[in-house]
Amino acid sequence: MNRICCLICALMLLAAPLGALGESAGEPETIVTIVRTPEQAQAERPPCFPDPADDYIPLPETENFALGKPVHSGAHTDVYVDKNVNDGKTDTYWESKGFPAEITFDLQGAFTVSTVAVCLNPSSIWEPRIQEIAVEISQDGENFIQVSPAGKYQFDAATGNRVRIDFEAVQACFVKVIFTLNSSSRTGGAQAAEICVY
Amino acid sequence: MKRKRIIFSLVFMLIWTACACAPGLAAEGQTRLTVYEGPKTMASSPTASVSVNGYDLFVYDVMVNHEHIWNANTQPVTTPMTYFDFEGKANVKIQMPGLGKAVESAQVLPAAWGIVPQVEQGMVSFSITEPGQYTVVFNGSVNKALHIFANPLETDVPDPDDPDVFYIGPGEWVMDAIALQDNQTLYLSGGAVLHSIISVANASNVRICGRGMIDGSDYPAWNQPGSYARVPIDLNHSKNVTVEGISLVNSNCWNLNSYSCKNVTIDNVKIISGRQNGDGFTFQSCTDHTVTNSFARTWDDSLVLKNYSGSTKGITFKNIQVWTDLAQSMEIGYETDKGLTLDPEISDVLFEDITVLYNFHKPVISIHNSDDAFVHDIVYRNITVENAMMQGDNGFNKELIEMTLQNSSWSTVRDEFGSIDGVLIDGLTVVNTVNGKVPASRLSGQSEENRITNVTLRNVNILGKPITTLKEMKLSIDDYCENIVIE
Repeated sequence: MNRICCLICALMLLAAPLGALGESAGEPETIVTIVRTPEQAQAERPPCFPDPADDYIPLPETENFALGKPVHSGAHTDVYVDKNVNDGKTDTYWESKGFPAEITFDLQGAFTVSTVAVCLNPSSIWEPRIQEIAVEISQDGENFIQVSPAGKYQFDAATGNRVRIDFEAVQACFVKVIFTLNSSSRTGGAQAAEICVY
Repeated sequence: MKRKRIIFSLVFMLIWTACACAPGLAAEGQTRLTVYEGPKTMASSPTASVSVNGYDLFVYDVMVNHEHIWNANTQPVTTPMTYFDFEGKANVKIQMPGLGKAVESAQVLPAAWGIVPQVEQGMVSFSITEPGQYTVVFNGSVNKALHIFANPLETDVPDPDDPDVFYIGPGEWVMDAIALQDNQTLYLSGGAVLHSIISVANASNVRICGRGMIDGSDYPAWNQPGSYARVPIDLNHSKNVTVEGISLVNSNCWNLNSYSCKNVTIDNVKIISGRQNGDGFTFQSCTDHTVTNSFARTWDDSLVLKNYSGSTKGITFKNIQVWTDLAQSMEIGYETDKGLTLDPEISDVLFEDITVLYNFHKPVISIHNSDDAFVHDIVYRNITVENAMMQGDNGFNKELIEMTLQNSSWSTVRDEFGSIDGVLIDGLTVVNTVNGKVPASRLSGQSEENRITNVTLRNVNILGKPITTLKEMKLSIDDYCENIVIE
């Protein structure tokens, strides 16, 4: 008999997590389910969306000479001003008003540069697109020479919505990035969330 | 034999206990309740303490806005909001330590539901037996009004192991954006706060469901330098989409947007917004959309239809509660042909069982055909305006009903005009107005060719008095309106 009672008690304990039955003073008889939240120190990425960053095109780990430096461009669309392009955030962006679109960075000194990276927001809602991009450099901000001719670059969220333009290392005080095409149907201008110079 | 009876009794008790405790198997008279912890990263609002049947609820502070005039740099304030799921009877108890003064009176809205709360020593208590959205106003002021979303118990929860299901459990989550594709489901559990946006573009058979919240508070208002519109749910050229059960709060722009979509079903979705252009349910050039059992407190148009690229047809809003802090409650327009399409129309639209808890700004019912569309077969049935407090802009646009065929700053077509034909308002009750008087209404056509025709008002009651004449209605019509009837 004891064995039977133990068995039944064990089964009742198993049933308990399905819900709790309670009736405190004056309250209706209530079967309550309390949905618990996990221990977290900060907001996290939902586990059902694995971080795709492992497949991103790698960028140099050296200093980004363009970050926070003076930048200027031609006309922009709506609120998407050029200073968004080197603020260190890929959730803000610059969008030109038409083509060609030039955007120039004053590096505030002479640096040896060999890579320009153009990044869009890495989110998958930024659908794949092609932008045509050339790179020029200058010592004085007036006379530029081309270091990378216009080429078509594929942006894809699967690889971080970023492209990397490598060229032979050269001293530069100013870097100009020239856009001549964007295949996205949502805009008539160039788009970049960040442009980095390494 | 005795031993067998004991075993039988114990087994019976076991089965009874298991049945009583198991969700879905409650005995008659029992209440089934689901409450959700808040994320461990967040604290329950210090403004309000709320319990249901003795179980504490997590209370969120969400952005609203008491500035009832457009301000591009407006600063929202917060109000408390909470939610739970139930079936049976829910005894709600509320204390408001953050109100700044003692609670001396309270009102539960919609007032038409006749729930009279008790207030004793600062505690407000009342009982409900039906799921729905309940708003509690304290001391006759909308300041810190408490929104309680009492959901029905969840059914049809998707399988987390289904490869087409993205299952977001309770907790605080952040992700730049989520793009859903064909046949995918996003489940957002109660107790989840998701800082992200959901995009459904060129997709079909998509479902978004759960009891959780999408929270845009991480993002600056969309019109501020460096920011942009991060629409919590953005449907674009998609079809067969369902959105159910979730809440959208603190958006940095408009909220549930559908553009050029077909066959969209929205049920029990709650929206609270307090920032610039915080429209609620906003559909452009859509067909066959149904919104039911939902809630929109907004700092811009609450329910709004426009034409951006093609016509609008077959839209139903049914059993919706609206609180409009800015702009219009039920707006058709202003843009009715932004895409410059051939023969644009907005037609076969039904607003039914709509309760406007408050409108503080512009018309409750409005058709602003500001381009050249043919707007026709529009029905408003059983509309209750509990507080018609429209202050308008500089003395204008404070009508109860407004239908116009004039250009505006939102017009794309400026050299041609459209028409409005076949509007029925059957059952319109206004309980309170800003000054205790019948608010004016206005119909204004454009020309002999561009007219407002065949508008019928029926069963109108304002401030307790049946309205049977245009004069009593304070409805002004110009020479380009025809067959405007009140019955």
